[in-house]
Amino acid sequence: MSKQMRLAVFVAALVIQVAILVGIPARRAYTLATGKSVSLKIRPVDPYDILSGYFVTFSFDVSVRANFPKVPDLGVEETCYAILERDADGSWKPVSLERSIPASLPENRIALKGQNRYGQIVYGIENFYIPETSRNTIQEDLNRNRDKAYVDIKVDSSGNAALERLRIEDRVYENK
Amino acid sequence: MAQNQNMNAGFRAGLKNELPLWVQEELLTEETAKKLSEKYQLDELKVESSRLLSAVIFTIGSILLGGGVISFVAANWEYISSPVKLVILFTALIGLHVTGYFLWHIKGWTRLGHALIFCGCLVFGANVGLIAQIFHIRGDWYSGFGAWAIGSLVMAWAVRSWLIGLLVIFTSFIWFTGFGADYHERLATIYPFALAASLLPLAWIVRSRVLYAATLLGVIVAASIVPLFSSYQNGNVMLATIAASGFFVWALGEIHGTLNLREEFGNITSGLGLSVLAFGAYISSFHYNSDSSNKITFPWLLIVFIALSIAGLIILIKSESRRTWLLVGISGVAALLCASALLAGLSSNPNTDALTIISNIAAFTLGAAIIGIGITEERRAAFWLGSLYVILLILSRFLEYDTSLLLKSAAFLICGVLVIVAGVGYERHLRKKTVLGVSREKEAGAL
Repeated sequence: MSKQMRLAVFVAALVIQVAILVGIPARRAYTLATGKSVSLKIRPVDPYDILSGYFVTFSFDVSVRANFPKVPDLGVEETCYAILERDADGSWKPVSLERSIPASLPENRIALKGQNRYGQIVYGIENFYIPETSRNTIQEDLNRNRDKAYVDIKVDSSGNAALERLRIEDRVYENK
Repeated sequence: MAQNQNMNAGFRAGLKNELPLWVQEELLTEETAKKLSEKYQLDELKVESSRLLSAVIFTIGSILLGGGVISFVAANWEYISSPVKLVILFTALIGLHVTGYFLWHIKGWTRLGHALIFCGCLVFGANVGLIAQIFHIRGDWYSGFGAWAIGSLVMAWAVRSWLIGLLVIFTSFIWFTGFGADYHERLATIYPFALAASLLPLAWIVRSRVLYAATLLGVIVAASIVPLFSSYQNGNVMLATIAASGFFVWALGEIHGTLNLREEFGNITSGLGLSVLAFGAYISSFHYNSDSSNKITFPWLLIVFIALSIAGLIILIKSESRRTWLLVGISGVAALLCASALLAGLSSNPNTDALTIISNIAAFTLGAAIIGIGITEERRAAFWLGSLYVILLILSRFLEYDTSLLLKSAAFLICGVLVIVAGVGYERHLRKKTVLGVSREKEAGAL
């Protein structure tokens, strides 16, 4: 192999590695940059992930199928869209679950893309990473203020969601 | 011995020390000693060892520097903003790779450059996890290893690195176990083929015996555990796959040696195949239990390995290998083990006692074959390993079945005496052959 060819191959390999790393958060980054802001009330559960550090696993009111007045018969891991409506107090309430995203929605409604798994609707925003040094602080705060914890997310036009921050009363936890 | 084996530093250092003494004792002339010194480049030894020392010092220094930087960043990670974190991650990745390439191919510092690119691939893996963390992304736990494996594979091929190839085996195997266990049995069946296709050619090109053997081992282990991902979890199909794959790899090693195709791969590959076969035979020698469901998903991998084994056998027979006795013995062992395991796994009411006896006959035959290699080819390691394997089989039988303490103690004593007697006899046999060989050379020299 000539020197130039060898260099070209090496650069191509490096570009592929960078592309993989860029590809991992690409959709989330796009959603954070272009999406609509939504706040969801959470119900926390707390496991430990050895690969990616510490995280908190959330469950939301909109994760529970029974909280939707109208629910289609969904298959296992079937994609669905939760239609949420903003109340006068600023909170978002479940309206219906649909098999496909509506062509248009009023300004006070959004479609949140999810998957029917293990009897719940999973939206890909159930895990919030917390640094090791803050783990105990956040865990205690969540345990003491379960009813006052919210997550702020962004939702894009395709229904994809990305986590922005965790809010417990006036305390905010986020990656800067 | 092949020339490259003679060139190892320890041998050359010893030779450098001995040559002056041999000249003094008139075993060699000065001229012969000078020729030997030139042939083995004994004057280069000091230069090489100082280069090696430099490489070691650089590597240790780089690791310590890298560790220091990583620790500093980790300590302040929480306070760094996300954009700066991303800059640090990408800078570290690109910096290590580019510096490694520069040192390797521009400055000619091969070892250090290679080590830095390998570090770059480690940093790539860390970046996968850290970027997922920054954006709160959590897929299945094994997905990150899959991404790591793909990125590392690309770089392994780009720089022709056997070391990064080993990293690919490690990371992809972890991905495979998670993926397969997550109800993806059918797709997981593809993994052994993908692993072989992506790394065996690389090992061939860079002539790396380690990567070649590690890849084959990864393929065998992966193929053997695929049946366990099935909802039927048929362990006896797993044993049959171990037997078939072990035989195929042994035959492959023999083909390397017999047909002179990368002959240096022959011994390590045959050794690996025999080890796998021995492991499978040992597990099978314990009393069979039939699988309660006697149902399986179609065993693609087992069929493939059986087909490859038959092809390998045909090639070896046609090549008129000198070791016909070994070929017959090993293929018989593999066939018996495979058949017993399949019968135990698939029959509705198998005679498990008979199958256990057959498996033990196969296992002891294999041990005898390995000892036979040691005796006929004067390979000490084969003789001792074969003997220890037979002893292990005997002792396992005595411990498995309910026998009296007196009988157990007699078994241990007899095995101990046999090992000592056989070992002493074998070493005497080797020494006699060596002495005879030296005498013949002296006579030929005198003539």
